[in-house]
Amino acid sequence: MATQTLPEFIADVTGLGTYGVGGEIVAAIIGAGIVGTIMLTYTGIAGPWAKRKITAAFTDRYAVNRMGPFGLLTIPADAVRLLSKELIIPENVDRPAFDIAPLIVAGSALLGFAVIPMGSLFGINLQIADPEAGLAFVFAVASIATLGLTMAGYASANKFSFMGALRAIAQNIAYEIPLVLTAASVVLFAGSLQMSEIVAAQTLGGGTEPLLAVAGLEIPPWFAFVNPFAFVLFMIANLAEVGRNPFDIPEAPTEIVAGYQTEYSSVYFVLIYLGEFLHIFLGGAIAATVFLGGPAGPILPGFVWFTIKIWGVFLFTQWARSAVPRVRIDQLISIGWKGMLVLSFVNLILTAVLVGVIV
Amino acid sequence: MSLEKSRDDALDAAGDVDPQAILDLLGDRVLDTEEHLNADIAVVVRPDAVEETLLALRDEAGFDHCSLVTAQEYEDRYESIYHLKQYDDPTNEVSVVVPAAKDDPVSESGNAAYRTCDWHEREAYDLVGIEYENHPDLRRILMPETWQGHPLSMDYDQDRPQVVTLGEHDNPLKDDHRDEDSDTMFLNIGPHHPATHGVLHAKTVLDGETVADVDPDIGYLHRCEEQMAQNGTYRHQIMPYPDRWDYGSAGLLNEYAYARAAEDLADIEVPEYAQVIRTMGAELCRIAAHMLAVGTFALDVYGDFTAIFQYAFRDREVVQNILEDLTGQRMMFNYFRLGGVAWDLPEPREDFFELTRDFLDGLPGKLEEYHDLITSNEIFQLRCVGTGVVEPEVAKSYGATGPVARASGVDYDVRRDDPYGYYDELDWDVVTEDGKDNYARVLCRLQEVEESAKIIEQCVDLLEEWPEEERTIQSNVPRTLKPENDTETYRAVEGAKGELGIYMRADGTDKPGRFKIRSPCYSNLQMLPEMAQGEYIPDLIASLGSLDIILGEVDR
Repeated sequence: MATQTLPEFIADVTGLGTYGVGGEIVAAIIGAGIVGTIMLTYTGIAGPWAKRKITAAFTDRYAVNRMGPFGLLTIPADAVRLLSKELIIPENVDRPAFDIAPLIVAGSALLGFAVIPMGSLFGINLQIADPEAGLAFVFAVASIATLGLTMAGYASANKFSFMGALRAIAQNIAYEIPLVLTAASVVLFAGSLQMSEIVAAQTLGGGTEPLLAVAGLEIPPWFAFVNPFAFVLFMIANLAEVGRNPFDIPEAPTEIVAGYQTEYSSVYFVLIYLGEFLHIFLGGAIAATVFLGGPAGPILPGFVWFTIKIWGVFLFTQWARSAVPRVRIDQLISIGWKGMLVLSFVNLILTAVLVGVIV
Repeated sequence: MSLEKSRDDALDAAGDVDPQAILDLLGDRVLDTEEHLNADIAVVVRPDAVEETLLALRDEAGFDHCSLVTAQEYEDRYESIYHLKQYDDPTNEVSVVVPAAKDDPVSESGNAAYRTCDWHEREAYDLVGIEYENHPDLRRILMPETWQGHPLSMDYDQDRPQVVTLGEHDNPLKDDHRDEDSDTMFLNIGPHHPATHGVLHAKTVLDGETVADVDPDIGYLHRCEEQMAQNGTYRHQIMPYPDRWDYGSAGLLNEYAYARAAEDLADIEVPEYAQVIRTMGAELCRIAAHMLAVGTFALDVYGDFTAIFQYAFRDREVVQNILEDLTGQRMMFNYFRLGGVAWDLPEPREDFFELTRDFLDGLPGKLEEYHDLITSNEIFQLRCVGTGVVEPEVAKSYGATGPVARASGVDYDVRRDDPYGYYDELDWDVVTEDGKDNYARVLCRLQEVEESAKIIEQCVDLLEEWPEEERTIQSNVPRTLKPENDTETYRAVEGAKGELGIYMRADGTDKPGRFKIRSPCYSNLQMLPEMAQGEYIPDLIASLGSLDIILGEVDR
């Protein structure tokens, strides 16, 4: 099913398409701007406001409630505050790397959204591109963040940062493989790496049978329902991938101060912070696309469902953060290599056998 | 067997210390004897025989607990006092007094007998200026390493400026050690670090993620509490200071320590009614302090200000409200007076009792919640079980007390073993755990909260039925107290963190000649290297959190 992507739509509507490749590039940039703005807006809401409200609810407090209705004006106030702080750059930092790292952290997560089908709103399909290797692309760019963390930690010339970077590398290697393997088991079901195909395989109508029909309610064949085991594995590996409790080891405030971001301040800090939240949303977006039917859902437009799903995953990470202790680095590694990796291989092989037998 | 026998020799039939047996045991090492109000006997020993004396007392007379080393300067001599006790029965006390010459104050170190002497003697060297022979590491501990002079010595000139060139300072950025055998990284954890609960500086040597060595550097919060107490009058001016030692809401427990020591020194009776109020207030403080301990420990292990921390603070808040009603203050109570308390329970009494009872009734449910959230959490167990292990022998050698010692199976609680206040009239138990690890220490604290609640409940019952005409809150105490010259005593209470004791020497005026605080945190913190070596950084942080130190009490 060849739905029109966002740049194509923009090219059509504005007539940019008539200017050849140049026009398409401009349309793509506009499209990327729109998607980027949406995600940055979500992050802007999540960082200074939603996160505090959610954590407060879990910990029996009120949190921001002074500025504006429900404290919502905290968001612009915090933006101004963060941007107007002094940027402190320590003497011995490795200059270009120290400056580039925050950009990489934030940029890699944003890049991932290029292929995420965010559903349609008013008939406009919010997906920038739909390459055939979409899923591989999104994992590939998401992993670039690790490079950013490593650069940040190494360039900071601070021992706490350095340890944070080393921990980040160890953690991401240990958890990236189970993450990708679990997603691969879904690919076996869907038979494609293309995001739109994966979503289509989970969406009712268009030749897809419902998984179950209970009292007239048709339960869609979301892969979270088809293979709940893989979904649980994915969510755990995802927590580690985005570095949230119980796997917030690269930051570990009580142990290594703030890990790789110890020396960052002002705008650089905001970028890293943004990158983290974008990463959580990207993790949520992948989980939504691969396991939760993407933008599919009844009544409401696809984009709204997509939004609900990624915020749901965000809520889950915050819940874990408020309630679960952090594991130790060696325990994390052994859970990753001895537990998650084995289980994800088992899952992959079983899925392969099942798919092979059924089809 | 032989050890048991010889130990019995030092005790008489009733289990008390036989002074003559101690003198026989020590033989010609004894120069003289002194009178200390608390101790069964105070022996003055030769400065070159300290080690043998302490070893003999430890091994052959069963004095396995060195509470405190007090150092002081007289007109004609220096003096170190080793306050020895028995973990089994802390009413058996011996003071070992070691004089040192005025012009060359050197005496032998007691390190070989009690490892706790390490820090205590360093402090004595730092503040008073006595040097200890055979001490493994005689550096300053509270003052900066470049400090000139010894602040508590008589010839110390506090007006003299401390001129120290930059080059003389110890460089905090030491080089990492790299050679064929090892490859370690030096890391300063603190003094400003999220997990140090104040201003503790842990000089850590890391081998990868493993802690190869850690050296706690304290003194950042040294406020001269002892010196200030020496400048205050017994009757009124000292009492506000104890609130500032363990400021983790253990104020009344600290005040109890001063009250007990001073009442012993000046021979003051406390009316029973006031005893009950004191006991209740102290236990309320213990609950508040343990809530704080559990909350901040969860903070260290969970890694963020999570639900546990907030829940603990929510419940601690209720206790503070009760204490506010009782004392008029939430943290710095200044409620105890020598010979009683400042005022009676707030009117209407029924409201106060109701508030307290409501809290006690809700407590079991809340503790259940803590057990659900913390102790039965599998990741929490993964982190805490088997980490930061303290063997009972190690705990005793370092003079560990309080929940830290009890979680290692050392059955020692001053409230029961050396009763004061109204504790011996009440029905409660001393909690011990034999896990010896970080997990056991949390369990121990949570159970102690239950025991404290039991005590408070009984106190509330008693207070409710106390006849109105017998509600005496203070005994008659002279406006100016001048205990007899050279009276010396060391008295301890069970503070929130362990044995909180005070040594006082009267010099015939209305102010103490020497005021020395035995801080439980100080002794407990000394075990940190023992607990953390060979473990991972997160375990070091967890161990530090489970020791539950309050830097205000460590540094004083």
